[in-house]
Amino acid sequence: MNTDPADTRHLHLDREDLMASAAGQPVGDRAQQHLASCEQCQREATRWDRVADGVRGLAAAAPGTAEPALPSRASQRALQGRWRRAALVAGSVAAALVLLAGIGEATGFVHIRLSGPGTQTYLTAVTGCTQLLQADGTLEHVNGNSLVIQLASGQPVTVTTTASTFVSMSGALTSDITDGASVEVRGYRYGGTIAAAIVTVGQPFSAVNPSGFVPLQGTVSDVRTSGFTLVTSTGTRVQVTTSSETLVVVPHASPGQLQAGVTIFAVGRAGPDGTLAAEAVAAVSQFRSGPHVSVSLKVKDCSPSSIEEALGAISVAPAG
Amino acid sequence: MNDPRGDFGAAIFTGSHDGACDDGGLLRRIGRGDEDAMAEFYREHGRVVLAQVLLVTGERVLAEEIVQDTMLAVWRGAGSFRGESSVRSWVIAIARRQTRDRLRSRRLRVVDDAFLADQPGSDPGPEVMALDRAELAEVMGAIRKLASAHREVLGLAFGAGLSLAEVAGVLEIPVGTVKSRLSAARAALNQILDEKGQNR
Repeated sequence: MNTDPADTRHLHLDREDLMASAAGQPVGDRAQQHLASCEQCQREATRWDRVADGVRGLAAAAPGTAEPALPSRASQRALQGRWRRAALVAGSVAAALVLLAGIGEATGFVHIRLSGPGTQTYLTAVTGCTQLLQADGTLEHVNGNSLVIQLASGQPVTVTTTASTFVSMSGALTSDITDGASVEVRGYRYGGTIAAAIVTVGQPFSAVNPSGFVPLQGTVSDVRTSGFTLVTSTGTRVQVTTSSETLVVVPHASPGQLQAGVTIFAVGRAGPDGTLAAEAVAAVSQFRSGPHVSVSLKVKDCSPSSIEEALGAISVAPAG
Repeated sequence: MNDPRGDFGAAIFTGSHDGACDDGGLLRRIGRGDEDAMAEFYREHGRVVLAQVLLVTGERVLAEEIVQDTMLAVWRGAGSFRGESSVRSWVIAIARRQTRDRLRSRRLRVVDDAFLADQPGSDPGPEVMALDRAELAEVMGAIRKLASAHREVLGLAFGAGLSLAEVAGVLEIPVGTVKSRLSAARAALNQILDEKGQNR
Protein backbone atom coordinates (compact mmCIF):
# COMPACT_ATOMS: atom_id res chain seq x y z
CA MET A 1 0.00 0.00 0.00
CA ASN A 2 1.25 3.51 -0.81
CA THR A 3 0.77 4.73 2.68
CA ASP A 4 2.27 6.72 5.43
CA PRO A 5 1.96 4.50 8.48
CA ALA A 6 0.36 7.37 10.32
CA ASP A 7 -2.25 8.15 7.70
CA THR A 8 -4.57 5.66 6.04
CA ARG A 9 -7.01 8.18 4.66
CA HIS A 10 -5.32 9.84 1.71
CA LEU A 11 -2.89 7.42 0.10
CA HIS A 12 -4.43 4.83 -2.14
CA LEU A 13 -3.98 1.10 -2.43
CA ASP A 14 -1.28 0.02 -4.80
CA ARG A 15 -1.78 -2.43 -7.63
CA GLU A 16 -0.46 -5.35 -5.61
CA ASP A 17 -3.10 -4.90 -2.92
CA LEU A 18 -5.85 -4.52 -5.49
CA MET A 19 -4.72 -7.55 -7.44
CA ALA A 20 -4.33 -9.63 -4.29
CA SER A 21 -7.78 -8.60 -3.13
CA ALA A 22 -9.32 -9.59 -6.46
CA ALA A 23 -7.46 -12.90 -6.31
CA GLY A 24 -9.03 -13.61 -2.94
CA GLN A 25 -5.74 -13.38 -1.13
CA PRO A 26 -5.33 -11.59 2.18
CA VAL A 27 -4.54 -7.90 2.26
CA GLY A 28 -3.39 -6.00 5.31
CA ASP A 29 -5.70 -4.46 7.87
CA ARG A 30 -4.52 -0.99 6.94
CA ALA A 31 -5.34 -1.59 3.29
CA GLN A 32 -8.77 -2.92 4.19
CA GLN A 33 -9.37 0.06 6.43
CA HIS A 34 -8.45 2.41 3.63
CA LEU A 35 -10.58 0.53 1.12
CA ALA A 36 -13.62 0.85 3.32
CA SER A 37 -13.43 4.63 3.18
CA CYS A 38 -12.01 5.37 -0.27
CA GLU A 39 -14.45 5.41 -3.17
CA GLN A 40 -11.68 5.67 -5.73
CA CYS A 41 -10.00 2.53 -4.44
CA GLN A 42 -13.36 0.78 -4.23
CA ARG A 43 -13.94 1.51 -7.91
CA GLU A 44 -10.52 0.18 -8.77
CA ALA A 45 -11.07 -2.89 -6.59
CA THR A 46 -14.40 -3.52 -8.29
CA ARG A 47 -12.75 -3.32 -11.71
CA TRP A 48 -10.12 -5.86 -10.73
CA ASP A 49 -12.88 -7.99 -9.24
CA ARG A 50 -14.69 -7.91 -12.57
CA VAL A 51 -11.57 -9.03 -14.38
CA ALA A 52 -11.06 -11.80 -11.83
CA ASP A 53 -14.72 -12.82 -12.03
CA GLY A 54 -14.41 -13.05 -15.81
CA VAL A 55 -11.40 -15.34 -15.50
CA ARG A 56 -13.15 -17.47 -12.90
CA GLY A 57 -16.25 -17.55 -15.07
CA LEU A 58 -14.21 -18.97 -17.93
CA ALA A 59 -12.57 -21.46 -15.59
CA ALA A 60 -15.96 -22.55 -14.30
CA ALA A 61 -17.14 -23.04 -17.87
CA ALA A 62 -14.11 -25.19 -18.70
CA PRO A 63 -15.10 -28.75 -19.48
CA GLY A 64 -14.30 -31.66 -17.25
CA THR A 65 -11.45 -33.82 -18.35
CA ALA A 66 -10.86 -37.49 -18.64
CA GLU A 67 -8.99 -39.22 -15.90
CA PRO A 68 -7.51 -42.29 -17.53
CA ALA A 69 -6.57 -45.40 -15.66
CA LEU A 70 -2.93 -45.71 -14.71
CA PRO A 71 -1.04 -48.77 -15.76
CA SER A 72 2.14 -49.78 -14.01
CA ARG A 73 5.30 -47.74 -14.30
CA ALA A 74 6.95 -50.66 -16.01
CA SER A 75 4.87 -49.98 -19.10
CA GLN A 76 5.30 -46.25 -19.40
CA ARG A 77 5.46 -46.38 -23.15
CA ALA A 78 2.03 -47.93 -23.19
CA LEU A 79 0.94 -45.47 -20.53
CA GLN A 80 1.56 -42.50 -22.74
CA GLY A 81 -0.43 -44.07 -25.54
CA ARG A 82 -3.36 -44.86 -23.31
CA TRP A 83 -3.40 -41.42 -21.75
CA ARG A 84 -3.23 -39.74 -25.11
CA ARG A 85 -5.98 -41.90 -26.54
CA ALA A 86 -8.19 -41.08 -23.58
CA ALA A 87 -7.63 -37.39 -24.17
CA LEU A 88 -8.36 -37.65 -27.85
CA VAL A 89 -11.57 -39.51 -27.19
CA ALA A 90 -12.53 -36.89 -24.61
CA GLY A 91 -12.04 -34.18 -27.17
CA SER A 92 -14.21 -35.82 -29.76
CA VAL A 93 -17.39 -34.73 -28.07
CA ALA A 94 -19.51 -34.96 -31.17
CA ALA A 95 -19.08 -38.69 -31.24
CA ALA A 96 -18.19 -39.52 -27.70
CA LEU A 97 -17.91 -38.22 -24.19
CA VAL A 98 -15.49 -39.58 -21.69
CA LEU A 99 -15.62 -38.62 -18.08
CA LEU A 100 -14.31 -40.30 -15.03
CA ALA A 101 -15.91 -38.98 -11.91
CA GLY A 102 -14.47 -40.12 -8.65
CA ILE A 103 -16.14 -39.92 -5.30
CA GLY A 104 -13.73 -40.49 -2.48
CA GLU A 105 -14.67 -43.20 -0.02
CA ALA A 106 -12.70 -44.66 2.81
CA THR A 107 -12.95 -48.04 1.15
CA GLY A 108 -12.24 -46.99 -2.41
CA PHE A 109 -13.80 -45.11 -5.25
CA VAL A 110 -16.95 -45.24 -7.22
CA HIS A 111 -16.04 -44.62 -10.81
CA ILE A 112 -18.25 -43.73 -13.72
CA ARG A 113 -16.87 -43.85 -17.19
CA LEU A 114 -18.95 -42.47 -19.99
CA SER A 115 -17.95 -43.48 -23.44
CA GLY A 116 -19.50 -43.95 -26.79
CA PRO A 117 -20.83 -44.85 -29.17
CA GLY A 118 -22.14 -47.68 -27.03
CA THR A 119 -21.48 -51.20 -28.11
CA GLN A 120 -23.81 -53.06 -25.80
CA THR A 121 -27.07 -54.22 -27.20
CA TYR A 122 -28.93 -54.87 -23.99
CA LEU A 123 -28.63 -54.68 -20.24
CA THR A 124 -25.04 -54.87 -19.20
CA ALA A 125 -23.41 -55.83 -15.94
CA VAL A 126 -22.02 -53.33 -13.52
CA THR A 127 -18.37 -54.12 -13.02
CA GLY A 128 -17.74 -55.43 -9.55
CA CYS A 129 -21.40 -55.79 -8.55
CA THR A 130 -22.59 -59.16 -9.71
CA GLN A 131 -26.31 -58.57 -9.27
CA LEU A 132 -26.51 -55.10 -10.74
CA LEU A 133 -27.33 -54.28 -14.34
CA GLN A 134 -27.43 -51.04 -16.20
CA ALA A 135 -29.38 -49.64 -19.11
CA ASP A 136 -28.58 -46.42 -20.89
CA GLY A 137 -30.56 -44.79 -23.63
CA THR A 138 -33.09 -42.16 -24.60
CA LEU A 139 -36.39 -41.82 -22.78
CA GLU A 140 -39.26 -42.61 -25.14
CA HIS A 141 -42.13 -42.19 -22.72
CA VAL A 142 -43.20 -42.53 -19.10
CA ASN A 143 -45.97 -44.92 -18.16
CA GLY A 144 -46.84 -44.38 -14.50
CA ASN A 145 -43.79 -45.51 -12.60
CA SER A 146 -42.20 -47.16 -15.61
CA LEU A 147 -39.83 -45.60 -18.11
CA VAL A 148 -39.49 -46.92 -21.62
CA ILE A 149 -36.06 -46.13 -22.96
CA GLN A 150 -34.46 -46.83 -26.29
CA LEU A 151 -30.95 -48.22 -26.15
CA ALA A 152 -28.23 -47.20 -28.59
CA SER A 153 -29.01 -50.38 -30.48
CA GLY A 154 -32.58 -49.16 -31.01
CA GLN A 155 -34.04 -51.78 -28.72
CA PRO A 156 -36.63 -50.57 -26.19
CA VAL A 157 -36.27 -51.50 -22.52
CA THR A 158 -38.73 -50.92 -19.71
CA VAL A 159 -37.24 -49.56 -16.50
CA THR A 160 -39.51 -49.88 -13.48
CA THR A 161 -39.24 -47.65 -10.45
CA THR A 162 -40.66 -47.72 -6.94
CA ALA A 163 -40.94 -45.12 -4.22
CA SER A 164 -37.46 -46.02 -3.05
CA THR A 165 -35.83 -45.59 -6.45
CA PHE A 166 -33.48 -42.66 -6.59
CA VAL A 167 -34.45 -40.53 -9.60
CA SER A 168 -32.45 -37.43 -10.50
CA MET A 169 -32.70 -35.09 -13.44
CA SER A 170 -30.45 -32.33 -14.70
CA GLY A 171 -30.08 -29.87 -17.52
CA ALA A 172 -31.14 -26.35 -18.37
CA LEU A 173 -34.22 -26.80 -16.23
CA THR A 174 -34.68 -23.25 -14.97
CA SER A 175 -38.45 -23.71 -15.09
CA ASP A 176 -38.03 -26.06 -12.13
CA ILE A 177 -36.83 -23.14 -10.02
CA THR A 178 -40.05 -21.89 -8.51
CA ASP A 179 -41.03 -19.51 -5.74
CA GLY A 180 -40.73 -21.13 -2.34
CA ALA A 181 -38.40 -23.89 -3.48
CA SER A 182 -35.38 -24.74 -1.35
CA VAL A 183 -32.26 -24.50 -3.45
CA GLU A 184 -28.52 -24.67 -3.20
CA VAL A 185 -26.72 -22.28 -5.54
CA ARG A 186 -23.15 -22.70 -6.69
CA GLY A 187 -21.82 -19.79 -8.67
CA TYR A 188 -19.54 -16.83 -8.61
CA ARG A 189 -19.93 -13.31 -7.38
CA TYR A 190 -20.30 -10.56 -9.92
CA GLY A 191 -20.84 -7.11 -8.57
CA GLY A 192 -23.77 -7.40 -6.20
CA THR A 193 -25.21 -10.57 -7.71
CA ILE A 194 -24.42 -14.24 -7.98
CA ALA A 195 -24.14 -15.77 -11.43
CA ALA A 196 -25.39 -19.31 -10.89
CA ALA A 197 -23.41 -22.14 -12.46
CA ILE A 198 -25.36 -24.91 -10.73
CA VAL A 199 -28.66 -24.77 -8.88
CA THR A 200 -29.74 -27.84 -6.93
CA VAL A 201 -33.48 -27.84 -6.31
CA GLY A 202 -34.76 -29.57 -3.18
CA GLN A 203 -32.54 -31.31 -0.69
CA PRO A 204 -28.82 -30.68 -1.18
CA PHE A 205 -27.06 -33.65 -2.72
CA SER A 206 -23.46 -34.40 -1.82
CA ALA A 207 -22.65 -35.70 -5.31
CA VAL A 208 -23.34 -32.24 -6.73
CA ASN A 209 -20.15 -30.77 -5.36
CA PRO A 210 -17.76 -29.70 -8.08
CA SER A 211 -14.68 -27.80 -7.03
CA GLY A 212 -14.39 -24.06 -7.37
CA PHE A 213 -17.72 -23.15 -5.83
CA VAL A 214 -18.96 -22.88 -2.32
CA PRO A 215 -22.67 -23.47 -1.77
CA LEU A 216 -25.18 -20.85 -0.79
CA GLN A 217 -28.50 -22.21 0.44
CA GLY A 218 -31.89 -20.59 0.79
CA THR A 219 -35.42 -20.24 -0.46
CA VAL A 220 -36.37 -18.98 -3.90
CA SER A 221 -38.35 -15.78 -4.20
CA ASP A 222 -39.29 -13.40 -7.03
CA VAL A 223 -38.53 -15.79 -9.87
CA ARG A 224 -38.03 -13.98 -13.19
CA THR A 225 -36.63 -14.86 -16.59
CA SER A 226 -33.13 -13.75 -15.73
CA GLY A 227 -32.92 -15.22 -12.23
CA PHE A 228 -34.41 -15.05 -8.78
CA THR A 229 -33.90 -13.77 -5.27
CA LEU A 230 -32.39 -16.19 -2.79
CA VAL A 231 -33.47 -15.65 0.80
CA THR A 232 -30.96 -17.24 3.17
CA SER A 233 -31.76 -18.64 6.60
CA THR A 234 -30.63 -15.37 8.14
CA GLY A 235 -33.03 -13.40 5.96
CA THR A 236 -30.35 -12.00 3.66
CA ARG A 237 -31.68 -11.48 0.14
CA VAL A 238 -29.18 -12.35 -2.59
CA GLN A 239 -29.86 -11.65 -6.25
CA VAL A 240 -29.05 -14.71 -8.37
CA THR A 241 -28.82 -14.58 -12.15
CA THR A 242 -29.41 -17.63 -14.32
CA SER A 243 -28.84 -18.25 -18.01
CA SER A 244 -29.06 -21.03 -20.53
CA GLU A 245 -25.66 -22.10 -19.22
CA THR A 246 -26.97 -22.63 -15.70
CA LEU A 247 -27.16 -26.31 -14.84
CA VAL A 248 -30.21 -27.17 -12.75
CA VAL A 249 -30.13 -30.44 -10.82
CA VAL A 250 -33.18 -32.01 -9.21
CA PRO A 251 -31.69 -34.88 -7.23
CA HIS A 252 -35.01 -36.23 -5.96
CA ALA A 253 -37.38 -36.13 -8.90
CA SER A 254 -40.35 -38.32 -9.76
CA PRO A 255 -40.73 -40.30 -12.98
CA GLY A 256 -43.60 -38.04 -14.02
CA GLN A 257 -41.26 -35.07 -14.16
CA LEU A 258 -39.01 -36.63 -16.80
CA GLN A 259 -39.32 -35.41 -20.36
CA ALA A 260 -39.16 -37.64 -23.40
CA GLY A 261 -35.90 -37.36 -25.29
CA VAL A 262 -33.57 -37.00 -22.32
CA THR A 263 -30.66 -39.37 -21.84
CA ILE A 264 -31.36 -41.98 -19.15
CA PHE A 265 -28.82 -43.89 -17.09
CA ALA A 266 -30.45 -46.57 -14.98
CA VAL A 267 -28.93 -49.11 -12.61
CA GLY A 268 -30.84 -51.89 -10.89
CA ARG A 269 -31.63 -55.57 -10.91
CA ALA A 270 -33.13 -57.85 -13.53
CA GLY A 271 -36.91 -57.79 -13.48
CA PRO A 272 -39.46 -59.99 -15.22
CA ASP A 273 -39.62 -60.14 -19.01
CA GLY A 274 -36.35 -58.36 -19.59
CA THR A 275 -37.25 -55.30 -17.56
CA LEU A 276 -34.86 -53.48 -15.25
CA ALA A 277 -36.03 -52.89 -11.68
CA ALA A 278 -34.15 -49.66 -11.08
CA GLU A 279 -32.44 -48.68 -7.87
CA ALA A 280 -31.29 -45.41 -9.35
CA VAL A 281 -32.07 -43.40 -12.47
CA ALA A 282 -30.32 -40.30 -13.77
CA ALA A 283 -32.10 -38.29 -16.47
CA VAL A 284 -29.62 -35.97 -18.12
CA SER A 285 -30.52 -33.43 -20.75
CA GLN A 286 -27.28 -31.45 -20.97
CA PHE A 287 -25.58 -34.03 -23.19
CA ARG A 288 -25.88 -33.38 -26.87
CA SER A 289 -24.51 -36.81 -27.63
CA GLY A 290 -27.91 -38.37 -26.97
CA PRO A 291 -28.11 -42.10 -27.26
CA HIS A 292 -24.46 -42.40 -28.23
CA VAL A 293 -23.46 -41.80 -24.64
CA SER A 294 -23.18 -44.90 -22.51
CA VAL A 295 -21.99 -45.53 -19.01
CA SER A 296 -20.16 -48.39 -17.38
CA LEU A 297 -19.83 -48.46 -13.65
CA LYS A 298 -16.98 -49.79 -11.59
CA VAL A 299 -18.24 -49.99 -8.08
CA LYS A 300 -16.32 -51.48 -5.18
CA ASP A 301 -19.05 -50.67 -2.71
CA CYS A 302 -22.26 -51.87 -4.32
CA SER A 303 -24.57 -50.29 -1.76
CA PRO A 304 -27.59 -48.22 -2.86
CA SER A 305 -25.95 -45.06 -1.55
CA SER A 306 -22.86 -45.68 -3.67
CA ILE A 307 -25.01 -46.16 -6.74
CA GLU A 308 -26.94 -42.98 -5.98
CA GLU A 309 -23.71 -41.04 -5.54
CA ALA A 310 -22.32 -42.43 -8.76
CA LEU A 311 -25.38 -41.63 -10.82
CA GLY A 312 -25.75 -38.29 -9.08
CA ALA A 313 -22.27 -37.38 -10.25
CA ILE A 314 -23.50 -37.74 -13.83
CA SER A 315 -25.82 -34.81 -13.14
CA VAL A 316 -22.92 -32.40 -13.05
CA ALA A 317 -21.05 -33.89 -15.97
CA PRO A 318 -20.25 -31.16 -18.46
CA ALA A 319 -22.35 -30.78 -21.56
CA GLY A 320 -21.02 -32.87 -24.38
CA MET B 1 -20.01 2.18 4.33
CA ASN B 2 -21.18 -0.90 2.51
CA ASP B 3 -18.65 -2.94 0.67
CA PRO B 4 -19.51 -2.24 -2.97
CA ARG B 5 -18.50 -5.77 -3.86
CA GLY B 6 -21.40 -7.30 -2.03
CA ASP B 7 -22.08 -8.48 1.47
CA PHE B 8 -21.66 -12.18 0.95
CA GLY B 9 -18.17 -12.39 2.34
CA ALA B 10 -15.17 -12.75 0.09
CA ALA B 11 -14.39 -16.24 1.26
CA ILE B 12 -17.71 -17.61 0.14
CA PHE B 13 -17.14 -17.27 -3.56
CA THR B 14 -13.40 -17.50 -3.77
CA GLY B 15 -11.89 -20.78 -4.83
CA SER B 16 -9.12 -21.74 -2.51
CA HIS B 17 -6.43 -24.33 -2.43
CA ASP B 18 -5.30 -25.15 1.05
CA GLY B 19 -3.96 -28.62 0.59
CA ALA B 20 -0.28 -27.75 0.34
CA CYS B 21 0.76 -30.12 3.13
CA ASP B 22 -1.31 -32.97 1.71
CA ASP B 23 0.04 -32.23 -1.75
CA GLY B 24 3.59 -32.96 -0.65
CA GLY B 25 2.47 -36.27 0.76
CA LEU B 26 0.51 -37.00 -2.39
CA LEU B 27 3.59 -36.46 -4.53
CA ARG B 28 5.64 -38.77 -2.32
CA ARG B 29 2.97 -41.45 -2.73
CA ILE B 30 2.89 -40.86 -6.48
CA GLY B 31 6.66 -41.21 -6.51
CA ARG B 32 6.20 -44.66 -4.99
CA GLY B 33 3.77 -45.59 -7.76
CA ASP B 34 0.53 -45.16 -5.81
CA GLU B 35 -2.20 -44.91 -8.47
CA ASP B 36 -4.87 -43.81 -6.00
CA ALA B 37 -2.63 -40.89 -5.06
CA MET B 38 -2.31 -39.99 -8.72
CA ALA B 39 -6.07 -40.08 -9.09
CA GLU B 40 -6.40 -37.85 -6.04
CA PHE B 41 -3.81 -35.45 -7.43
CA TYR B 42 -5.75 -35.34 -10.66
CA ARG B 43 -8.96 -34.45 -8.90
CA GLU B 44 -7.17 -31.81 -6.83
CA HIS B 45 -5.39 -30.05 -9.67
CA GLY B 46 -6.67 -31.36 -12.99
CA ARG B 47 -9.52 -28.97 -13.50
CA VAL B 48 -7.50 -25.88 -12.55
CA VAL B 49 -4.66 -26.91 -14.85
CA LEU B 50 -7.10 -27.60 -17.66
CA ALA B 51 -8.81 -24.24 -17.20
CA GLN B 52 -5.46 -22.46 -17.31
CA VAL B 53 -4.25 -24.32 -20.40
CA LEU B 54 -7.58 -23.86 -22.12
CA LEU B 55 -7.45 -20.15 -21.36
CA VAL B 56 -4.07 -19.90 -23.06
CA THR B 57 -4.64 -22.19 -26.02
CA GLY B 58 -8.35 -21.65 -26.60
CA GLU B 59 -8.59 -25.16 -27.99
CA ARG B 60 -10.25 -27.85 -25.97
CA VAL B 61 -8.71 -30.90 -27.64
CA LEU B 62 -5.23 -29.42 -27.48
CA ALA B 63 -5.75 -28.38 -23.85
CA GLU B 64 -6.91 -31.88 -22.92
CA GLU B 65 -3.82 -33.36 -24.53
CA ILE B 66 -1.54 -30.93 -22.72
CA VAL B 67 -3.16 -31.75 -19.38
CA GLN B 68 -2.73 -35.45 -20.03
CA ASP B 69 0.94 -34.90 -20.89
CA THR B 70 1.33 -32.77 -17.78
CA MET B 71 -0.13 -35.46 -15.56
CA LEU B 72 2.08 -38.01 -17.24
CA ALA B 73 5.06 -35.81 -16.39
CA VAL B 74 3.85 -35.61 -12.79
CA TRP B 75 3.50 -39.39 -12.66
CA ARG B 76 7.01 -39.82 -13.96
CA GLY B 77 8.66 -36.96 -12.12
CA ALA B 78 6.92 -36.74 -8.75
CA GLY B 79 10.15 -37.71 -7.05
CA SER B 80 11.91 -34.67 -8.48
CA PHE B 81 9.68 -32.20 -6.64
CA ARG B 82 11.96 -30.41 -4.20
CA GLY B 83 9.38 -28.37 -2.33
CA GLU B 84 10.82 -25.06 -3.43
CA SER B 85 7.43 -23.90 -4.64
CA SER B 86 3.84 -24.87 -4.01
CA VAL B 87 2.69 -28.03 -5.74
CA ARG B 88 0.02 -26.03 -7.57
CA SER B 89 2.56 -23.64 -9.09
CA TRP B 90 4.89 -26.59 -9.82
CA VAL B 91 2.28 -28.49 -11.81
CA ILE B 92 1.15 -25.34 -13.60
CA ALA B 93 4.75 -24.59 -14.54
CA ILE B 94 4.97 -28.09 -16.04
CA ALA B 95 1.75 -27.46 -17.94
CA ARG B 96 3.10 -24.13 -19.15
CA ARG B 97 6.21 -25.79 -20.55
CA GLN B 98 4.09 -28.42 -22.24
CA THR B 99 1.90 -25.68 -23.71
CA ARG B 100 4.87 -23.66 -24.88
CA ASP B 101 6.38 -26.69 -26.60
CA ARG B 102 3.12 -27.50 -28.33
CA LEU B 103 2.54 -23.93 -29.47
CA ARG B 104 6.15 -23.56 -30.55
CA SER B 105 5.80 -26.62 -32.71
CA ARG B 106 2.92 -24.87 -34.41
CA ARG B 107 5.21 -21.89 -35.03
CA LEU B 108 2.88 -19.43 -33.40
CA ARG B 109 4.25 -15.93 -32.99
CA VAL B 110 4.82 -16.14 -29.27
CA VAL B 111 7.57 -13.51 -29.32
CA ASP B 112 5.22 -10.80 -30.51
CA ASP B 113 2.70 -11.89 -27.94
CA ALA B 114 5.20 -11.64 -25.11
CA PHE B 115 6.31 -8.23 -26.32
CA LEU B 116 2.76 -6.97 -26.33
CA ALA B 117 2.14 -8.34 -22.87
CA ASP B 118 4.43 -5.88 -21.14
CA GLN B 119 3.58 -2.75 -23.05
CA PRO B 120 2.30 0.04 -20.83
CA GLY B 121 -1.43 0.04 -20.38
CA SER B 122 -3.66 2.81 -21.59
CA ASP B 123 -6.32 2.65 -18.92
CA PRO B 124 -8.05 5.99 -18.54
CA GLY B 125 -7.54 5.91 -14.78
CA PRO B 126 -10.20 6.92 -12.34
CA GLU B 127 -12.84 7.95 -14.85
CA VAL B 128 -15.57 5.60 -15.98
CA MET B 129 -14.22 2.58 -17.81
CA ALA B 130 -15.91 0.13 -20.10
CA LEU B 131 -15.25 -2.46 -17.41
CA ASP B 132 -17.60 -0.58 -15.09
CA ARG B 133 -20.63 -1.21 -17.24
CA ALA B 134 -19.76 -4.56 -18.82
CA GLU B 135 -21.80 -7.64 -18.08
CA LEU B 136 -20.00 -10.76 -16.94
CA ALA B 137 -20.58 -12.54 -20.23
CA GLU B 138 -19.05 -9.59 -22.06
CA VAL B 139 -15.98 -9.66 -19.81
CA MET B 140 -15.59 -13.39 -20.39
CA GLY B 141 -15.90 -12.91 -24.14
CA ALA B 142 -13.38 -10.09 -24.11
CA ILE B 143 -10.88 -12.16 -22.14
CA ARG B 144 -11.04 -14.78 -24.87
CA LYS B 145 -9.96 -12.11 -27.36
CA LEU B 146 -6.87 -11.06 -25.43
CA ALA B 147 -3.36 -11.99 -26.49
CA SER B 148 -2.40 -15.37 -25.06
CA ALA B 149 0.24 -13.85 -22.77
CA HIS B 150 -2.46 -11.63 -21.27
CA ARG B 151 -4.85 -14.53 -20.86
CA GLU B 152 -2.07 -16.54 -19.29
CA VAL B 153 -1.15 -14.04 -16.60
CA LEU B 154 -4.81 -13.36 -15.77
CA GLY B 155 -5.47 -17.07 -15.46
CA LEU B 156 -2.50 -17.64 -13.20
CA ALA B 157 -3.34 -14.73 -10.92
CA PHE B 158 -7.11 -15.06 -10.73
CA GLY B 159 -7.97 -18.55 -11.91
CA ALA B 160 -5.23 -20.76 -10.54
CA GLY B 161 -5.10 -19.06 -7.16
CA LEU B 162 -1.37 -18.34 -7.26
CA SER B 163 0.19 -15.42 -5.42
CA LEU B 164 1.95 -12.77 -7.50
CA ALA B 165 5.29 -14.23 -6.40
CA GLU B 166 4.17 -17.68 -7.54
CA VAL B 167 2.96 -16.27 -10.85
CA ALA B 168 6.39 -14.68 -11.25
CA GLY B 169 8.00 -18.04 -10.55
CA VAL B 170 5.88 -19.84 -13.12
CA LEU B 171 6.46 -17.18 -15.79
CA GLU B 172 10.10 -16.77 -14.82
CA ILE B 173 9.82 -12.99 -14.69
CA PRO B 174 10.12 -10.46 -11.83
CA VAL B 175 7.07 -9.71 -9.68
CA GLY B 176 7.09 -6.15 -10.97
CA THR B 177 6.73 -7.44 -14.49
CA VAL B 178 3.82 -9.60 -13.42
CA LYS B 179 2.06 -6.50 -12.11
CA SER B 180 2.80 -4.59 -15.31
CA ARG B 181 1.56 -7.48 -17.39
CA LEU B 182 -1.64 -7.72 -15.36
CA SER B 183 -2.23 -4.00 -15.77
CA ALA B 184 -1.55 -4.25 -19.49
CA ALA B 185 -3.98 -7.15 -19.71
CA ARG B 186 -6.67 -5.17 -17.94
CA ALA B 187 -6.07 -2.19 -20.20
CA ALA B 188 -6.35 -4.38 -23.28
CA LEU B 189 -9.51 -5.92 -21.86
CA ASN B 190 -10.99 -2.51 -21.26
CA GLN B 191 -10.12 -1.47 -24.79
CA ILE B 192 -11.85 -4.51 -26.26
CA LEU B 193 -14.93 -3.82 -24.17
CA ASP B 194 -14.84 -0.15 -25.09
CA GLU B 195 -14.66 -0.90 -28.81
CA LYS B 196 -17.48 -3.40 -28.45
CA GLY B 197 -19.57 -0.81 -26.63
CA GLN B 198 -18.97 1.83 -29.29
CA ASN B 199 -19.99 -0.59 -32.02
CA ARG B 200 -23.32 -1.36 -30.42
